[in-house]
Amino acid sequence: MRNKDFYTLILLILLTIITAIISVNYNNFKVVTIIILGLSGIKFLAVSFQFMELKKANSFWKILISILLFVIIGIISIIL
Amino acid sequence: MKETKIDYKSIYYPPGGILMWILITLELITFGIALIALVAYSKEDPELYHRSRLMLNTTFGAINTVFLLVSGFFMATTVHLFKQQKFDKSLFYLKLTMLGGFLFLGLKSIEYYEKLNMGFILDYNTFFSFYWLLTGFHVIHVLVGLVILFFFYFSLRKKNTKPKLEDVEASAAFWHMCDLIWLLLFPVIYLIL
Repeated sequence: MRNKDFYTLILLILLTIITAIISVNYNNFKVVTIIILGLSGIKFLAVSFQFMELKKANSFWKILISILLFVIIGIISIIL
Repeated sequence: MKETKIDYKSIYYPPGGILMWILITLELITFGIALIALVAYSKEDPELYHRSRLMLNTTFGAINTVFLLVSGFFMATTVHLFKQQKFDKSLFYLKLTMLGGFLFLGLKSIEYYEKLNMGFILDYNTFFSFYWLLTGFHVIHVLVGLVILFFFYFSLRKKNTKPKLEDVEASAAFWHMCDLIWLLLFPVIYLIL
């Protein structure tokens, strides 16, 4: 078991709990939406870079997946 | 213990293989477009989508997120141990990975059962059409991922031959892809509409 993977898992679970708490307890729709999508984006990058070892890959793949994530989250944030 | 080496810095050999990453990219684009369509449709009748979203069980969604994340962690550990040729330990963590997948499917089944009992079927309204199609396709991915992991499990159990590292990494990449898709679906469907 690798320490970095374990710490990443703890971070991911904490972010999931924080996301759930924010979505239930806060009412400012626009701000809450952006925070939730932002935290989800961090979780997405943590899984892809750490668990999937994208950090070891060629920059092309890192940039492609990151751009894809930002485009999806960006468009959803703009529409909402 | 000796570790097997692959030149991951080559554009042709990302961890999991180039074909798997092309597949992952296409899957993310497909689910991304579907989520954008869901959000765009929600602007036509925000009240309907908000009320429909409140019918979903956010706790189930959050617990399922944790199941998939923990399962993904075990998968990463499985690959790491496989590279170190610690096959027995790798097999143990692979079983835990699959357990995470089964727990996800179990809770999803309960959630689906509840929704069907409440009458929220595919054509109840457009929100639930998106809900069933998006989460349903994701469940199919998890099922396919479990089948791939079963093949990996049985090849890892053989005493004489072991699977190739490239195949192991490709299986792991597919499993993690299920995490990635869910990490996009969960906030949009369960939390923000």
